[in-house]
Amino acid sequence: MGYLSTICVLSCINIVAVLGLAILTGYTGLFSIGHAGFMAVGAYASAILYMHFGVPFYLALVLGGFAAGLSSLIIGYPAFRGAGKLRGDYFAIATLGFGEAVRLLLNTTYKYVGGAYGLTEIPGLTTLPVALGVAFLALIGAHNLMRSEHGKNCLAVGQDEVAAQMMGVNLFTTKLKALFISAFYAGVAGGLFGFYMTYLSPSNFGIGKSSDLLAAVVFGGMQSLIGPVITAFLLVGIPELLRFLLDWRLVIYGILFVVVMVYRPQGMLGYREMNFRWLWAAIRWLKPGKPKQAN
Amino acid sequence: MTFFLQQLVSGISIGAIYSLLAVGYALVYSVYNFTNWAFDAFMVTGAFAAFYGITLFFMPFAVAIVFSIVMTVGLALFVETTAYRPLRARQAPRLFMMISAMGASLAAVNLANILFGGAFRKFPDIATGAYRIAGVSVGKMDLFAAAFSCVVLSLLWWFLERTKLGLGVRASALDTVTAGIMGVNNNKIALIIFGISGVLSAVAGVFFGAKYAVFPYLGLVTIKAMIGSIIGGIGSLVGAVLGSLLLGILETMISSYVSSVYRDLISFSILVLVLLFFPSGLMGAKRVDKL
Repeated sequence: MGYLSTICVLSCINIVAVLGLAILTGYTGLFSIGHAGFMAVGAYASAILYMHFGVPFYLALVLGGFAAGLSSLIIGYPAFRGAGKLRGDYFAIATLGFGEAVRLLLNTTYKYVGGAYGLTEIPGLTTLPVALGVAFLALIGAHNLMRSEHGKNCLAVGQDEVAAQMMGVNLFTTKLKALFISAFYAGVAGGLFGFYMTYLSPSNFGIGKSSDLLAAVVFGGMQSLIGPVITAFLLVGIPELLRFLLDWRLVIYGILFVVVMVYRPQGMLGYREMNFRWLWAAIRWLKPGKPKQAN
Repeated sequence: MTFFLQQLVSGISIGAIYSLLAVGYALVYSVYNFTNWAFDAFMVTGAFAAFYGITLFFMPFAVAIVFSIVMTVGLALFVETTAYRPLRARQAPRLFMMISAMGASLAAVNLANILFGGAFRKFPDIATGAYRIAGVSVGKMDLFAAAFSCVVLSLLWWFLERTKLGLGVRASALDTVTAGIMGVNNNKIALIIFGISGVLSAVAGVFFGAKYAVFPYLGLVTIKAMIGSIIGGIGSLVGAVLGSLLLGILETMISSYVSSVYRDLISFSILVLVLLFFPSGLMGAKRVDKL
């Protein structure tokens, strides 16, 4: 049970982070290869707030998320503003640089953070119900967000920036909000991770972590929440099942990246949204006594 | 003063290796507007081909370099035809090409890790010893690497500026679609560009391997080359060389005067700052958003 619950908790944490990235990458079309950096900010911020400032657990998680969101503005504000706006892949590289800079900064700071030794003795407060609950809230939140006006703006920006701008969408605020929310999610996921592992080290948040998150979104599908959620779950679970293929995991990831891009760039469930209509239909169909169809 | 000059020489010698790769990044970017993340795979292939060529097949160094170039160009052309060409044919967004490239690199580098093991291998000595010039010691291998890089880059310049095919490449860089209409075979140009990238990264891989060690993740250094090409200006070949030399010198200076702990932190911070505040770099054209 302990083993299974570990996989479940790690999957839930992964799902929260991937949902954030899906909002940014899948919907708004901004690729981030540095999301582990936001996770790191959230993880360290919430752990330090809890341990040194006596902030309660849930508040610390939320504040960790806010810290990650605020840190994202450092790169989002100059990147999206007016004439200096960065085109697609260079925004991705800027996030990569940011993520690595955060990791290396944590690696060389010793006060509070513990440098390369890491931050230890964090209480293990992330239990399975907590992780499940947060993942569920995150999913509901993202789902509602994407149905809101802001979500529609994000979609428009992701599909065609110029057309969106002509329709009166403010590119700057839309992108900045999407980045902030995305980093918030990553920060909360990082906080959960820290309180689950009871130990944080900068090496947990390298480029590998960022590309795992990106892999979940790319395989799961663009402009879909449920697709990335499923892949986020699978990408934690499958490597556990296929332990003997451990070394080959990254090779397979790489080949899958190419294959998906060449043959199915929209991903597994691209452009398909979570809905429960089929469930209602099934219930209605099963309900006894109701006339199926007037013959 | 001697210490400073010594660091300057070290900086230039690492910058020379960065510059080979950075020119590759700039070349691919100038034509296709995307960052070829697969350079690390090319570089690792080059380093391992030369290493095994010398240690297993007892090739002389010159033959080993040629062997390494052939292998790397082969991989580069394979990646171009399988991972990039279908996307270009479909006119997929550039970001898809970037992900495809990341995939190719992830697969190739980790395959090398599985096949050869992650050990650090010492490259056989090619040229040992050093010249002493005014109290500054200059490694023979470094000098050779720098000279070889200069030759390769000059040949590349000659090819791009003085031959008809080079004209085709430059036309493609200016406007791929129009060049295609004017009779430039874009698929051929793509093969040429990735062939050149293969040559550049093979040479960089061999000299990097010879300077430090041969191991599967040596391609991580390509990120530094990318930073160099971004400092120099996205898509500018001269800028890429200048930016890489600058970055090489800066890194060595930070390592020796501040602390090597902060070297990578400062490199990545420079990357972010340049991208956010001076996106056209030293020599890059002022970019205009195209509709």
